[in-house]
Amino acid sequence: MKRFLTTVLLIFVFAASLTACGPKKPADHFEAIKQAGTIKVGTSADYPPFEYVDSSGNKIGFDIDLMQEIATRMGVKLEWVDMPFDSLIAAVQEGKIDASISAFNYSEERDQMIDFTDAYYLSEDAYIVSDGFAGQFASPEDIAGYKVAVQTGTTQDSWLTENLVDTGKLPEENLFRYDRADQAALDLKNGRIDVWMADYVPGQALVDQLGGLKVAYKGVLSSGPMNIIIPNGDAALAAEMNKIIQALQDEGFIEKLAIKFIGGVQ
Amino acid sequence: MFQNFLFYIGTGTVVTIGVTLVALPMGFVLGLLFALLHIYGGKALTRLMTLYSTVMRGIPPIVLLFIIYFIIAGSINISAFWAGSISLGIVSSGYQMEIFRGALLSVGSGQMMAARAIGMSRWLSVRYVVLPQAFRLAIPPWSNEASIVLKDSSLVYALGVTEILRRAQQLSATTQQPFLAFGTAALIYFILVFTTNRLLDVLERRTRIPAHP
Repeated sequence: MKRFLTTVLLIFVFAASLTACGPKKPADHFEAIKQAGTIKVGTSADYPPFEYVDSSGNKIGFDIDLMQEIATRMGVKLEWVDMPFDSLIAAVQEGKIDASISAFNYSEERDQMIDFTDAYYLSEDAYIVSDGFAGQFASPEDIAGYKVAVQTGTTQDSWLTENLVDTGKLPEENLFRYDRADQAALDLKNGRIDVWMADYVPGQALVDQLGGLKVAYKGVLSSGPMNIIIPNGDAALAAEMNKIIQALQDEGFIEKLAIKFIGGVQ
Repeated sequence: MFQNFLFYIGTGTVVTIGVTLVALPMGFVLGLLFALLHIYGGKALTRLMTLYSTVMRGIPPIVLLFIIYFIIAGSINISAFWAGSISLGIVSSGYQMEIFRGALLSVGSGQMMAARAIGMSRWLSVRYVVLPQAFRLAIPPWSNEASIVLKDSSLVYALGVTEILRRAQQLSATTQQPFLAFGTAALIYFILVFTTNRLLDVLERRTRIPAHP
């Protein structure tokens, strides 16, 4: 009995220690996508108007339509993988998804982990406050005097951490990180926080939807170009996507999307 | 509005049930195996199994889920659903091992002695005398574990599996109605867990020995 059980255990341990191939080499990645006929794209569909779901559960939004068009022009089917925003970069690195589009802004920190395509949109940051807020923001650093909210893993998160928390201007306990933008907006409305640093467009969308909030400051601090992210070193996929993005810009497709979802072009 | 919520979040129910149906039986098989190894294996196996159980039960499930998921998903190319469900199964096996250990040890030692006395090998005694009796004793704590795994299936949302919780989050983000979105999710979870517990109650009654407390 003992020998039998030990054998079973050893077989089990042996089986569990079997590991298959490692991560795909970037050079093969684009070919692999074309062969499979499908591109797996990750997104965090909780960020209107860039990616969200309608009441029937279909994904809609600026990024959604844009990626669909890019996939069509690449000649592959598009398979969406939805996950929380701060899991997306890791998923691209691990090769769980081929690319991700989720209103990603460029940052050097991110560039070390993944690669960016060319920009398809230019975004700004905004400070969102409640209607009754009396403070003024003469300079962006003035935010350090208040209780600040930010979405985890965003460029705003990095900007606040590097420029204000690490330099000591904003105490760590006054910076509140949220998994999703709408959580920050709701806490702002409840008065639990004073200011929410967000991307301007989704921030304005939530201001319009929730009511009782306003945009107190707008400018390019942490944001700027918005791109699709792809695995590090994947030059082939980058070249293909950049070609298509350029074509879509020239044709006015992106401008039309901006008008449809954002109500104007920047 | 509520009907739309119910429909969209409801379609996530299939995924949730799927995750549970992979994780729970997997935890069952592993848990039972490890429990048997613990009780009937040698000293070394017993110590190894105790270590396994202590580690699995000593770390929050979501932390373990991430660790195991990145180990599995990093080496084998399987979908987030399977990697997440298997990870959840491994986490559950730690708890199920303790459940079966308790149940097996609760069967009177006289049963084992009697089986051995009439000439059955250890394996036969366990298989035909002890295990069937332990099965009955394991049902109450096991239904507890079943509810826990069903509810813990919500943790795989962080790995990219769009089940009930993740859908509720998406709807909450779009409609700004967190109470309605998460309330619907809560209702669905409650119905699932309640039904499971009721079914296991029926099983418990079926296997009860008359006049046995």
